[in-house]
Amino acid sequence: MNPVFLAGRGLASSLGPSLGAAVDALRQGGPSPEMRTLTGGFAWPFHAIADDSDKGDWWPWVRRLITRVVADSGALASDRRGPLFLASSSLDIGGREQDGGFEHGMRRLADEIAGWLNWTGPVITVSTACTSASNALLTAAALIRRGDACDSLVLGVELPNRLTLAGFGSMQLLSPTAARPLGAGRDGLVLGEAVAALHLSRHPSRWRVAGGANVVDGTDPAGAVQQAVVEMCRRALSNSGLHPQDIDLIKLQAAGSGANDATEAAALHEVFKPLPPLVSLKANLGHTLGASGAAEIALLTACLESEAWPRATPPDPALNAVLASQAPSHVRNVLATILGFGGGHTAIVLENGASS
Amino acid sequence: MTADWIVMAHVGLTPPPAGWRDDLARRLGQRPRRLGTWAELALYGARQCLDAAGEPSLPKDAVLRVASQAGPRLATRTAVSQCDTGLPMPFAFLQSQPSQMLGALSQHLDWRGDARFLVTPDHASMLHLAQAEAGPAGLLLGWVEEGDAAGQGQQSEWWRLLPNENRAPKLR
Repeated sequence: MNPVFLAGRGLASSLGPSLGAAVDALRQGGPSPEMRTLTGGFAWPFHAIADDSDKGDWWPWVRRLITRVVADSGALASDRRGPLFLASSSLDIGGREQDGGFEHGMRRLADEIAGWLNWTGPVITVSTACTSASNALLTAAALIRRGDACDSLVLGVELPNRLTLAGFGSMQLLSPTAARPLGAGRDGLVLGEAVAALHLSRHPSRWRVAGGANVVDGTDPAGAVQQAVVEMCRRALSNSGLHPQDIDLIKLQAAGSGANDATEAAALHEVFKPLPPLVSLKANLGHTLGASGAAEIALLTACLESEAWPRATPPDPALNAVLASQAPSHVRNVLATILGFGGGHTAIVLENGASS
Repeated sequence: MTADWIVMAHVGLTPPPAGWRDDLARRLGQRPRRLGTWAELALYGARQCLDAAGEPSLPKDAVLRVASQAGPRLATRTAVSQCDTGLPMPFAFLQSQPSQMLGALSQHLDWRGDARFLVTPDHASMLHLAQAEAGPAGLLLGWVEEGDAAGQGQQSEWWRLLPNENRAPKLR
């Protein structure tokens, strides 16, 4: 079996148009979300992609954005015959809202991207709500491990549209003020947009994808299930050849939801005794849904390389789980979780080759 | 199908029979709640396929993959229309998310495991990707299209596959 490495990364988010800009913004505390108003007058805070170019025409703007982020990841300099995984919850719904193109199937955005990038390899779309990019990464890594591919590109995208915000708003899952992951007084999510590219390769680099797991449990269609989180952790550790005590940092799903954050914390207490240091990036990035698995790995690994670190929210004492206020001094193995709609629970294990 | 895999069951509902929703409700002992047509078609086909394979539920370590070209298109159009008018639309929005179909399969097949929705160019691509992550418990694969608003073009085609080393005594 071939090892799988993270060869390159790109990110455009509310923290900035590039990963470097995002790390710099994080050092400054990160920008506050803007208020976004929908038809009917409802308004919620929202993390829009920071980009000064004209966003008026959806398709040309998306083309420029995605091409730039993929170029940042280094994937365009490699063999473009490997598999490209497009991971998204909303796909091109913003374009459909603008041009009414509902006659197109779900392949449209993937086909357009393949054309923009001159990508000749297979292009696959993964859409499993918030876990989309994590699931895409798991499949891409499996293909490289088997020797079916040398390189692969995982592209997580959540792009401007009205439907997603309105949908989450309709379900009363959004905070009217701010996301407070694991925090006292947390009252919901703040959504965000992102384009994140992870270039995977069998050629060695600092971060190795050691393993991971995906567990779907439909008991709660909109929330996490404690025993599914436990099973996800145990499967991810097992297929990475690790034990709970080997994990030095957990990048949480924690988005600021009252129930989901508590479920995640309770499950982690069941697996990890004691809990390793914890971090959540959603107060800074927003919950970028289908892109979050890729966006948060891109940002987290960049943070660990540069010692930038997100602000920790004041904790909820009932959870007995506190976000780390600074980067841990020694991080070899990281568990990165994403939990989502439809009962999706995913975890990716990364090994830091620079850790001695 | 590759030579390394055997087909335990194959169900091709193209289209599903008249009254399939009633059949599904009888089989499950209840009408599925708040699912759109696309997810119900997936559930109906998956249940039929497992019944044909003689399996009351999917084994814990099996891999479940569902693919489609159009996905839940009707629910998506409805949700976008409701969004444009400012109506609250929690159910249409949920039905527009393919992950809700996976959650429904998990719930009604009484199974917790590795499930994923993919948009692939063809059946062969879906099979190849699924096999890359499957173990001895094998695969349940589905291809589901809901057709137009009148139900024309509905499709729910499913395969239950096992790797050859687990060869069953009888192929169906």
